[in-house]
Amino acid sequence: MKLLNFILGRLFVYVMVLVVGMTILFFVPRFAPTDPVDAMLAKVASQSGYMEAAQVDALRASLADTFGLQGSMIDQYGAFLKRIFLTADFGPSLSMYPTPVTELIARALPWTFGLLFTATIIAWVLGNFVGLLAGWRPESNPARVMEGIAICLYPVPYYIVALILSVLFSYVWSIFPLTTTIRGAPWSWDLIRSILWNSFLPAASIVITVFGWWIISVKAQTTALKEEEFIRYARLKGLSDTRLLTRYVLPNAILPQITFLALQIGLMFNGSLITEIIFDYPGLGLLIYSAVLQGDYNLLMGTISLSIVAVATATMIIDFLYPLVDPRIRHG
Amino acid sequence: MISVRDAVLGYGTRSFITAVNGVSLDIGSNEIVGVAGESGSGKSTLMRAIYGDFSTGLRLKGGSIRGTFEGYGTLDCSDMRRAWWDAVSYVPQGSMSVLNPLMKVEKQLLDGLPKRQRLAGRAAQRQDLEKFLAGLGLDASVLDAYPHQLSGGMRQRVLVAIAAYVSPKLILADEPTTALDVVVQKRILLMLVEIQRRLQNTLVLVSHDLGVHYQITDRLVIMYRGEVVETGATDEIFSNPQHDYTQRLIGALPDLAARRGAVS
Repeated sequence: MKLLNFILGRLFVYVMVLVVGMTILFFVPRFAPTDPVDAMLAKVASQSGYMEAAQVDALRASLADTFGLQGSMIDQYGAFLKRIFLTADFGPSLSMYPTPVTELIARALPWTFGLLFTATIIAWVLGNFVGLLAGWRPESNPARVMEGIAICLYPVPYYIVALILSVLFSYVWSIFPLTTTIRGAPWSWDLIRSILWNSFLPAASIVITVFGWWIISVKAQTTALKEEEFIRYARLKGLSDTRLLTRYVLPNAILPQITFLALQIGLMFNGSLITEIIFDYPGLGLLIYSAVLQGDYNLLMGTISLSIVAVATATMIIDFLYPLVDPRIRHG
Repeated sequence: MISVRDAVLGYGTRSFITAVNGVSLDIGSNEIVGVAGESGSGKSTLMRAIYGDFSTGLRLKGGSIRGTFEGYGTLDCSDMRRAWWDAVSYVPQGSMSVLNPLMKVEKQLLDGLPKRQRLAGRAAQRQDLEKFLAGLGLDASVLDAYPHQLSGGMRQRVLVAIAAYVSPKLILADEPTTALDVVVQKRILLMLVEIQRRLQNTLVLVSHDLGVHYQITDRLVIMYRGEVVETGATDEIFSNPQHDYTQRLIGALPDLAARRGAVS
């Protein structure tokens, strides 16, 4: 019963977070000095030359309708929430009219998710593995080397790594493609190879910049754990080093990392922006970029809403998962 | 079983700090030996050396510490770890963090168990564990508990049970009842005696609390400033303390009868 209460309460918080997020998303552009209808009209006028006043008025009305700008602010707000929560409809894209925003997002999402999810997981596993060993045996040479590399790479800004990789491996030595071009029939071996080939550099740039942080944080965890009484007790039981590491140190060190991983996955859409621009990768980041450049309000609303949903969902999933991995935390 | 000859123990390599200065001591089989003394008297250092735990920078500078166990022959203290959790086990001073917070008590009872104590099949082992715990007055439900779900006294009883389930020849208990209330303390002492009676093994109990020693030990070793100042049967020491320090220690014990007299 308590568990049910917890789940319902958490779901309520989740919905509230989404409502607040969408509310901010609704009001911020409306308080901006620019009017999307005027901007659009100016664009149309500059392309078509002279227009009659009646035509302009008709266009203004139909644009206001498309943007959901008719009626009072409260009416608009109600209609906006209803549209988003009940039908997940963000209207047509303005720059790629009349393709619906949802379709554009659905097309880009698998690319971004596939790339960032894979890269984040690889960095997490690699970083935790190296960090654990570095913390367990700080005097061993491989651990020192890996830690040195991590400390050198960790402060380098992410876009610098991406640019260096791109320049070195696509331009100086053209091993990997400079811009992303996917070729091959659907679901063929060629297609998979082409995807892997094109995704290698973007993924490598993410792994390289992120995994240093994982190494440093897990190493700190492990070093602190080694001084814990229960590790000392287990050692005095005569347990082997492997057993100590896998059954005592690892689970305790990895626990806080699970939280960070889930948050990182929630935030990965933000990180996708620069990678995808640099490598011309057909994901969400590139979509946001072109939406900003072309003043595509609907598309922007759609992509930003998606990142709100992603972060809120990720934190909710952590809250649900954490009691399963840490017995000290039980809801109800 | 354990023979300590002129042992000089201390910490550090460049500047050696002496903690135990020339101690000789014999511990036989089937007895309860108490080691008493104030903090800094070297009793814990001596225990650590007998157990063979040199992980904290402890060093044996002079003399020798040896243990003789069936199946192992005579072991130098530097080799003692070979007999850990088989011929010899230990009970640490219980605190919140002695048990792995992410492992159920059952797992921690089985972890490190010698082959001779292992049974084929999980169910058989579980049944054996339950029987063993019941004999010590512990409910089988503690097996499924995580450490944080147990009270301080219960955790300490679990630690005693973990050390005893190994059926060792020697149990070293370092301040096992410190920081527990008197009722719980008594229960744990009775548990230790019960285990010793059943296994007919040796229990070495380190405590600064003479009251604890008075209740269960057969023989007492009094340490003061790194040296053994007095040793003998517990009753004898209490009735006729020879050394100054022992006299002061016993004199410092609260005397309930005298107090009652003073009030009436």
